Amino acid sequence: MNKNEHDHKHCLELFQKLSEYLDNELDEVSCKDIEKHIKDCVPCFVCLQTLKRTVDLCKQTEDRPVPEDFSKKLKEAIQNMPKMPPAG
Amino acid sequence: MTVPRPATRKKIKDKDFELIQAINSGQFDRFPDLVKRYEQKLYNFSLRMCRDAADAEDAVQETFLNVFRYLKNFRYETKFKNWLYRVTASTCIKKWRKSKFAPERELSLDEFFPQDETEVPDQVPKWALLPLDKLLNDELLDKINEAIFTLPEKYRLVIVLRDIEGFNTAETAQILNLSDANVKVRLHRARLFLRDKLKGYFENE
Repeated sequence: MNKNEHDHKHCLELFQKLSEYLDNELDEVSCKDIEKHIKDCVPCFVCLQTLKRTVDLCKQTEDRPVPEDFSKKLKEAIQNMPKMPPAG
Repeated sequence: MTVPRPATRKKIKDKDFELIQAINSGQFDRFPDLVKRYEQKLYNFSLRMCRDAADAEDAVQETFLNVFRYLKNFRYETKFKNWLYRVTASTCIKKWRKSKFAPERELSLDEFFPQDETEVPDQVPKWALLPLDKLLNDELLDKINEAIFTLPEKYRLVIVLRDIEGFNTAETAQILNLSDANVKVRLHRARLFLRDKLKGYFENE
């Protein structure tokens, strides 16, 4: 399917499910439908690949260390909390 | 005739189970161990939610103080980590509500679907083809963090929990008190929003 033949109705229907497809949350029939469709539809294939890359990049974001001052402040705040009786 | 006993839920014994039991039995000096275990995760989660470092610190402190107060009520019906994120998320949400009155922007699927032929891609762009390690650098990571900040909060919460913190759909739904279907809808729109931001970044590079 070239871009002039891009079938919006079917593409839009599959477009809604692409994240579930990437997360393995779709039933077998829907998965096969998507796999069959993207073999012939370049725009949808591109959409899936760019979405997958977006998710992969998101997973690469790193955590910042906790500022030492804050860590200290938090520790003090907890130490100053009134102690509760043990749970029954 | 025997009277049926009320159904008791099975306790979830996760990696925090013993520590929480110790704290709840009066070993309050073990609470800092729990803080140490989750401080960095919650700080980063709150930072991604609140953006402002001071607000994130407030949210983390408020969360831990509430956990300290209410830990004895924890019934092990969920993983402790999920309960902790639930408390943190609700603290962050309260902060937004205090600081803003504008209604949240809704993202619709239509805005991400190519509407005319000029927008329809005809090949996979380089940024989606290159090996990840060839693509990653500090500037790009900053760009992703920036893009996450520009997401409306309700979408940001979902994508951060799912794609950064690694919770599954059911856990995210439980943390945010949403249906699984709602989590999936918000996640998909959030990912499409970020994809468009990344596309814009790579096209202008």
